[in-house]
Amino acid sequence: MHKQLYNLISVFVLASMLLASCGGGGQQAASTEPEVLRVWIQWGDNPQQIQELFDKYTAISGIKVEVTAPLEEDKILPSLTGSEPPDVLVLSGGDLVKSYAKEGLVTELSDIIKTGGIDLNDFFEAPLRQCKSGDQILCLPWGTDMYALFWNKDMFEAAGLDPEIPPKTMEELAEFADKMTVRDADGKLTQVGFLPDQGWDHSDLYVRMFGGFWYSEDGTQMTANSQPMIDSLTWQQQFYTKYNADDVLALSAGWADAYMSADYPFYTGKMAMYVDGEWMTGPNFINAFKPEASYGVAPFPPPADHPERANTAVVQGTVAVIPAGAKNKDASAKLLAWMMSPEIVAEEFCFNANLPTSKKAATDPCFTENPKFKVFTDLMSSPNATIIVTTPISLEFNDAYGVVLERAVHNGEDPKSLLDDLQAEFEPKLQEALK
Amino acid sequence: MEELQIKRKWTWPPRLPKWSHSDRLNFRTGMLFLLPWTIGFLAFTLYPMVASFYYSFTIYHPRLPNEWIGLQNYVNLWNDKLFWQALSNTLYMVAIGVPLTLLASFFCAVLLNLKVRGQSIYRVIYFLPSIVPTVASTILWLWILNPQTGILNTLLGHIGIQGPNWMSNPNWSKPGLILLGMWGMGSTIVIYLSGLQDVPISLLEAAELDGASWWQRLWNITVPMVSPITLFNLITGVIAQFQYFAQAYVFRGFQALGYPLNSTLFYSVYLYQNGFLWLKMGYASAMAWVLFIIILICTVLLLKVSERFTYYAG
Amino acid sequence: MRGDEMTTQTTNQILRTEMDEETRKRMRMHKIRNFFKSMFSHAIINFIGLFFLVPFLWMLLTAFKSSQDVFHTPPRWLPYDNVFVDVNGEQLPLYNVQTENGLKQLAAVKIVEGVGTFVDPANPGQQMEYEIQQGATKIAEPILHVSFKWQNFPDAMERGSRPGIGASFWVYFRNSLIIAFFSIVGTLFSNTPVAYAFARLKFPGRDILFVIILATMMLPFQVTMIPIYLFFNDFLGWGNTFLPLIIPTFFANAYDVFLLRQFFRTIPEEMCDAARVDGASEWQIFTRIVLPLSVPVLATVTVFTFLWAWNDFTGPLLFLTSPKNFTMALGLQDFQSQRSMIWNQLMAAATVFTVPIVIAFFFAQKTFIQGIKLTGSKE
Repeated sequence: MHKQLYNLISVFVLASMLLASCGGGGQQAASTEPEVLRVWIQWGDNPQQIQELFDKYTAISGIKVEVTAPLEEDKILPSLTGSEPPDVLVLSGGDLVKSYAKEGLVTELSDIIKTGGIDLNDFFEAPLRQCKSGDQILCLPWGTDMYALFWNKDMFEAAGLDPEIPPKTMEELAEFADKMTVRDADGKLTQVGFLPDQGWDHSDLYVRMFGGFWYSEDGTQMTANSQPMIDSLTWQQQFYTKYNADDVLALSAGWADAYMSADYPFYTGKMAMYVDGEWMTGPNFINAFKPEASYGVAPFPPPADHPERANTAVVQGTVAVIPAGAKNKDASAKLLAWMMSPEIVAEEFCFNANLPTSKKAATDPCFTENPKFKVFTDLMSSPNATIIVTTPISLEFNDAYGVVLERAVHNGEDPKSLLDDLQAEFEPKLQEALK
Repeated sequence: MEELQIKRKWTWPPRLPKWSHSDRLNFRTGMLFLLPWTIGFLAFTLYPMVASFYYSFTIYHPRLPNEWIGLQNYVNLWNDKLFWQALSNTLYMVAIGVPLTLLASFFCAVLLNLKVRGQSIYRVIYFLPSIVPTVASTILWLWILNPQTGILNTLLGHIGIQGPNWMSNPNWSKPGLILLGMWGMGSTIVIYLSGLQDVPISLLEAAELDGASWWQRLWNITVPMVSPITLFNLITGVIAQFQYFAQAYVFRGFQALGYPLNSTLFYSVYLYQNGFLWLKMGYASAMAWVLFIIILICTVLLLKVSERFTYYAG
Repeated sequence: MRGDEMTTQTTNQILRTEMDEETRKRMRMHKIRNFFKSMFSHAIINFIGLFFLVPFLWMLLTAFKSSQDVFHTPPRWLPYDNVFVDVNGEQLPLYNVQTENGLKQLAAVKIVEGVGTFVDPANPGQQMEYEIQQGATKIAEPILHVSFKWQNFPDAMERGSRPGIGASFWVYFRNSLIIAFFSIVGTLFSNTPVAYAFARLKFPGRDILFVIILATMMLPFQVTMIPIYLFFNDFLGWGNTFLPLIIPTFFANAYDVFLLRQFFRTIPEEMCDAARVDGASEWQIFTRIVLPLSVPVLATVTVFTFLWAWNDFTGPLLFLTSPKNFTMALGLQDFQSQRSMIWNQLMAAATVFTVPIVIAFFFAQKTFIQGIKLTGSKE
């Protein structure tokens, strides 16, 4: 009896050892010189190219860099809080960094910037602002994004509009959209002129166009139910309610899932205009999926009664953080410094068609060659370029706002009462978090 | 069983029955055989239960010590609109989805029990979708339910019905998920089928000779005879449906969890969102315990109610 | 129903003896009614059968479609692909182009930003440029024919959910197999002794413990999920490995214990008693008598465990973070969440994901059904 029991236990132990050996990656030896560094990037336009970029770091440092891109949203917090966080984490936007900092999840970078020889003055002011919290620097921007209006020239022509001339005001945009929202003989919608929230929410752009934001500029007050917020939701609503929201939703079901494919409605003649970012003009999107597409891009138009707000665009961008739990901060710091060097910034974002965050890198001619991309570089240096204000409660607020957006825009509910509720819920939370 | 009953005489104050030598030996052997389960129970059931119970009274911080807040999580839960939405979504699936699926499986089993040519082929066809892995079938149905390009609405269109917006209309997302669930009910059909085949033919023949119609035979003989199966599947179905997660997670595609408008925000999805997206693990633990209690209540209720309706042959 | 048909036969025999006009008419009506009844049942069985069959067929057919076809409205059944023509050794797609001289079939060399460069296959020297679409009218449309694109399968498997980072579906497949294999090993090793103890051993407290095991079936996984996640991930540091998925299977679970116990109880007590009288220890009885007789139920448990491990999504979702370690279930969901909408390849991968189960089912058909019956029909 005992002999068999011991045999059983030893088999079990052997099996566990076998398992541990073929259990896949993820562990790393915590020595002074790590063999593998892990970089996790939330976006992933072209994971293969990014891995190749980081292989260059391997060439000069001898340390292998494992890139994981893209990352799902629900992997970000667990990655920061787990026992094996990545060595560098690149987030799609800086709006949640303050929330993470509140929980002690990111490393403050001032020292690393000094010792790593990173030149803070080389960064453009706007993207860097989202990383600063008082005197602390919580992240460093790595490539930045801006949004503009994209339109499908063929659909303009079919509707009798001049394909080279985009709408000049937000009101004109609605008129154009009306002409290009078409139903077939059975009354079913076959195409829409404009979807305000295609891909993801662009309320930040619209609310700036209406002259406000949901926080005060210094981030100390909640202004969720201010007039610009109400106007932004009301303006967005019309593109659903005018054409029967159910029909629009039926047509656009699954469009968000087609973003990286040839069946994206912008390419297949189902959506004539929408707001998107500068990366679309690069090699990874339109040129990759639908080179036949004939499209134009221009700054999003201002409202007719506020022409001074022309060329307003929101600068948001990806930021790199070093998780507080990173095993080898020195190695992470060196990698971060390399990532921030102007040559690497120029190379990566020339290829990926993103805006450079380094002033030196911005002098590279590749950023001005492509006339469509140049629209964005011009926007970045426009005096009306603004930023997203962030606070420690951004994480929760964004989720709650998402539901409000859906209810107002898709469901046609009254924006004012929804926003009043939102304001009532989050103003005290903001004050609490800022203490 | 008998021997043990005789030995256990309950007295006050309670005294543990004295164990004979053979009792002790048997106990040791039994425990050795049970070792894998015992360790597993302590490590993966008892410890986590105690731990999550403790967490439910704290605010979880990853790098700082947990904050004890007593019943605050439960109070917050009571006041949380999304909690009630999640609960009602799950109850919808439990109260509508489970009985509907059971009914449909029974119906299909009755069909498959008929003497028709090619019956074995039909049985395979009805069963095969149930072994398609969950993720694959959910993704497949994402496409089938697409209001513009999916075959369901196209086929409905052929017979003149305007198919609803299964994916973006909050009133139709759950029915869509129920359809998906019904597609995979093959294993329940098989269980019912074997139950049907166990119904004694003599009973049915006698009833027919007495003039009972097909429906009367079904309702008065067959249904009661398979009622143990119905009860078992009802209980396991309810317990499983309360934990519905994977399909809802995959079904929302790239939209936020619970899309559209939180109609697919089921209890375990909201729990996952709290625990892993927002790192409110204390709150999520409180939700888990509330769920456990709800399941217990439902199971007890079901058992009590079923006593009057279940018929055990023999 | 079966009983129904048999009684009708006997009834017919009885009726044939006493024939009169009335009875004969009634018999004919009876026959006609039965005919319509069977037509009706056939129709319903077929109709419902379609509900089960059509999505399955759709999945298979889509796996063969080309990218031309994937989101065609209205959806087409058969897969279509470009017709290719050989021009100077290159395979170029053929288009119907509205030229100045009417509709011509031209091969497309390249298409950039809405303008296509075409050549006449008969006259490849001269290149012509045409806009693909002017306004709402399509100038150039690709020519398609029915074609099963087998290439989708190797393409999908090679590509994985994120191309270019060394994690193809083959890797996911392998990971799923590893996890399934060790889960089966763990399940068989741990559940059999436990089930035997409850089936055939007598010891004080046995029934209480069994009730506890049954009670754990009612425990939702959410109650234990968070502490187990923190335990494996933070405390043990086993995040991103297969261990959190496999180790728990070595510690028995209520369902398999229940199933095995049901079966063990059908093994005749006399055999075990005889062995006990001969002085065999419980362990010997277990390994030498009970286990060899239990091969059918062990096969069932193997098949069920394989099905469960292959299917498992929540576990991998929680614990596996780097794509190299994904299982196929997680990989498929990852593919779909990449927003790339390559439905044909996605369905091809889904088919490959389903195939091992279907094969296992056909090989183990009897044990499969047996096992389902064992869990479901008897209390």
